[in-house]
Amino acid sequence: MAAAAPPPPPSDVPEPRMAPPETTPIGHPVFTRIRLATPLDVPFIHKLIHQMAVFEKLTHLFSATESSLSSTLFLSPPFKSFTIFLLELSSSPIPPLLSPSPSFTPIEKTFNFDLPLNDPEKDVFSVHYGSDQVVIAGFVLFFPNYSTFLGKPGFYVEDLFVRECYRRKGFGKMLLSAVAKQAVKMGYGRVEWVVLDWNVNAIKFYEQMGAQVLPEWRICRLTGDSLQADQNANV
Amino acid sequence: MAETTPIGHPVFTRIRLATPLDVPFIHKLIHQMAVYEKLTHLFTATESSLSSTLFVSPPFQSLAKTLYFDLPLDDPEKDAFSVHYGNDQVAIAGFVLFFPNYSTFLGKPGFYIEDLFVRECYRRKGFGKMLLSAVAKQPVKMEYGRVEWVVLDWNVNAIKFYEQMGAQVLPEWRICRLTGDHLQAYQNGNL
Repeated sequence: MAAAAPPPPPSDVPEPRMAPPETTPIGHPVFTRIRLATPLDVPFIHKLIHQMAVFEKLTHLFSATESSLSSTLFLSPPFKSFTIFLLELSSSPIPPLLSPSPSFTPIEKTFNFDLPLNDPEKDVFSVHYGSDQVVIAGFVLFFPNYSTFLGKPGFYVEDLFVRECYRRKGFGKMLLSAVAKQAVKMGYGRVEWVVLDWNVNAIKFYEQMGAQVLPEWRICRLTGDSLQADQNANV
Repeated sequence: MAETTPIGHPVFTRIRLATPLDVPFIHKLIHQMAVYEKLTHLFTATESSLSSTLFVSPPFQSLAKTLYFDLPLDDPEKDAFSVHYGNDQVAIAGFVLFFPNYSTFLGKPGFYIEDLFVRECYRRKGFGKMLLSAVAKQPVKMEYGRVEWVVLDWNVNAIKFYEQMGAQVLPEWRICRLTGDHLQAYQNGNL
């Protein structure tokens, strides 16, 4: 369970402004696509999750391996269980997928920035489609949950993460919106996630997306040894 | 609870998987929970919506335990919650609804408990613990990582119960929810 990585605090360096591409076609176009992850993406997913753990100072809780991810994440069709959207990014148009999933049409959007985006980890996160270099910029992992009050499923967003060099540009909003759109398409009732109560930047972002932060609910967790104890419990 | 001294009033209990035939009971139980949580304004489930959404996937079995109580249990709603097995009348006392979730840090699934509810006349007798323990046993069997749920911060009885079960209540996390018109606004996805 992880909250979205909050945007970094404001710095003295002016941030690139995003000009709408239709009216100001000067600058640096950035082509983006949201698609479903496949088992081939597990190395990227593993690295992204680890980056999130570093960011949240929770690496002591991180024990996922590429193998555990591969064997647990792709057992069911998209949206019926754990589902990952990846955000891909390139300075040239992204070639179409060779075998797109029938369950989901990739979402594409072109941004225009005043300055080129600099990615110090470009090689680690590159996906090669023929000769084009496309990078993975972030991901969202979500799965169905259920609301008995509504009598219908919803989506729970477990992870939302954008790599550091790509933050504060609207990519987190793009990923979360994609989940919301899918929920509406499927007739689901809610999209839910959690946030740390001191994470004011993330809270602001979520409220701007139309979400409410519910002040009275607390997470309860039974894990590790306590779980083992219940196994043997004379119930 | 005197399991070694079977004097008093035996109450036979069983936890079993729900089936579509139980939907009327489930609907009433959820409504009672909404009343308890002062959230009836959020309650719109119908028997039809529950039937069509709750039984689309296979489940994963019964445990039976006899509890002994000093006084007979009085159930003012017995008729509304009766299941008839031949001549025997069995009452539905409560339920737990749960589903798989996922921890990316652990790289494995867990369970999330959406609802745990025991009817008022059956509270404070260990039935909630029995239901919660039944869920907690499953993940260990299936090599899952965690069991999670939520509690209202004013529900001191529940918090105490959960801590006694070995759960931690995490103070810093807050639920975010996108629903209703705010969710519908994403239909045309101007991302």
